[in-house]
Amino acid sequence: MKNIMKQKQSLIVMGILALVLLGVYFLPLTVFAKHILVLTLFYAFMGTGWNLMCGYAGRLSLGHAAFVAVGAYTSLLLFSHFGLTPWIGMIAGGLVAVVVMLLIAYPSFRFGLIGPYFTLASIAVAEIVHYLLIYGRDLTGGSLGMSLPYVKGTTVINSIINLQFDSKEPYYLVILVFWLAAIFITWKMERTRYYLEAIREDEDAAAALGISVNKNLIIAACISAFMVAVGGTFYVQYFRYIDPYSIAGFTLSLNMALVAVIGGSGTLFGPTIGAFLLIPLTEVLRMSLGAQIPGLHLFLYGILLVVCIIFLPKGIASLPGIIRAKRAQKSTEDGPENQASKGVL
Amino acid sequence: MDMILQIIISGLLLGGIYALVSVGLNLIFGVIKIVNLAHGDFLMMAMYATFFLFTVKGIDPYVATLIVFPAFILVGVVIFRLIIKPLLGKAETEVNTIIATAGLGFVLQNLALMLWKSDFRAIETSLTGKSYEFAGIMLSAGRTWAFVVCIAVALILYYVLMRTKVGSHIRAVSQDTEAATLMGINVNRIYTLTFAFGIALVGLAGVILTPTFYVYPTVGLYFNTMAFIIVVLGGLGSFTGALIGGLIIGLIESFAGVMASAELAQVFSLLIFLVILFVRPQGIMGKSARV
Repeated sequence: MKNIMKQKQSLIVMGILALVLLGVYFLPLTVFAKHILVLTLFYAFMGTGWNLMCGYAGRLSLGHAAFVAVGAYTSLLLFSHFGLTPWIGMIAGGLVAVVVMLLIAYPSFRFGLIGPYFTLASIAVAEIVHYLLIYGRDLTGGSLGMSLPYVKGTTVINSIINLQFDSKEPYYLVILVFWLAAIFITWKMERTRYYLEAIREDEDAAAALGISVNKNLIIAACISAFMVAVGGTFYVQYFRYIDPYSIAGFTLSLNMALVAVIGGSGTLFGPTIGAFLLIPLTEVLRMSLGAQIPGLHLFLYGILLVVCIIFLPKGIASLPGIIRAKRAQKSTEDGPENQASKGVL
Repeated sequence: MDMILQIIISGLLLGGIYALVSVGLNLIFGVIKIVNLAHGDFLMMAMYATFFLFTVKGIDPYVATLIVFPAFILVGVVIFRLIIKPLLGKAETEVNTIIATAGLGFVLQNLALMLWKSDFRAIETSLTGKSYEFAGIMLSAGRTWAFVVCIAVALILYYVLMRTKVGSHIRAVSQDTEAATLMGINVNRIYTLTFAFGIALVGLAGVILTPTFYVYPTVGLYFNTMAFIIVVLGGLGSFTGALIGGLIIGLIESFAGVMASAELAQVFSLLIFLVILFVRPQGIMGKSARV
């Protein structure tokens, strides 16, 4: 009963958040503010995708950029060679990412790779994709990267089909829909989430209870890979340029993990909270400090991360729980004293 | 024939350097069971320290060891107390130490960028560009000495771990923390010691590397991946393993670099790494069961 209540609550929160974010669309903001909003929602979406596999199942992947890169390059290559609309391209890219994920996830889970071993394997996978993209320079342009061929949208429908717009607003709407879909899928998987949580806490016990451990993990991993690959296509369409370093590099992998971990991994809104805290902060720091002293903004960002992890090891989403626990502790401490004073009276 | 011998020797020398870089990581990973993602960035800091000691004070890199090694022990103690210790024994220790050290890596890289810009720097010592010729095979002087230092470090470390009291304490803690505590070993002290020496060893590696490698703020990233591959390949906590792992990767790179391309050499090393992770996560020389 309580779970149903809680699930309904998340649905209401989701609805309110979506409406607020839709309302933001109509605000007269500067281009920079709009860019930050698009980027924040992008990372909220990516973090939610990452979270589905890594947060709920307790496997820290620092190689998810591999799937972003696969999605981005697939849709971009299909678009620039065959003129295929990125909408189909992103599904194709997602499917390729799922295949890549299966190649890695199956042996990883089959051989019981956990803890730091899984993290190292995931980093290796992203590095392999990175080097292969550089190696295949005839197709991918190597380290120089690839640009998205610009197509002037003559009509609205034309722009939508090509997923290329001249202003930021349409991108905002697109990524808002993506984010909402990701949250909805995660919410739908809440039932499976309990399986995933059981697996995370004790794999053997979960298996003993009849939960098909590997099947659940692999399904979560594939959906996760598909989502971030779709995010890769969005990245190409929005930035119009990709290179192996930025899209298959360690920084992107780390950022996806960070928004989720700082926000609270394994929670529905954790990655979104994390993205709304970290991304605007980095962008504002970059704008105000990046030009004068290069590196200062990332230096401060790194310090913030370390401090966050030390003081909130379970993420910001755990903050209400901690405060509640403190309060409960306080009231139990107060309790006997109050009673004692009453006794005196 | 000479060509193949040359490739093998170059590969072994490169492997020696890689092994030296990985030893500290192996020690920390094997004993405290945490992944230090900032490992390569400590290497970078040591390289800068050596660079400036040489250019500003004129101190030879091999003498700089005497300054950098103790300084990095101190750095290790401070970092352990500040960042690692608060995370140990709490929820999500594994994940959080990885994230925290990644954040630390960010801090160090950008500190270097702020202070010294992204220029590539190199020093010219008496060894730079020199090589020894031995039976028709060329040996790069800097790398040969790095190899010698690597072997010396491996031997000293082996002696300390196997033959001294502190060494037996470290081994006890790495095998079973609780049992070690019950035997009256101060686990916290051993952790601090291990972390400090792990950092000091990568500092040493940085000093030895400086005469033959460029120094720039993200040089650590390159060595980081390599160090992790070697540590897993050789086996956690096994120093012979780290040495063998380093030599294998050195040989692979050397051969693949000549036969194919540099990128494929990396891909090949990484694929071997993945296969080892899947089928033998304890590494080639590791004894411990699956964690």
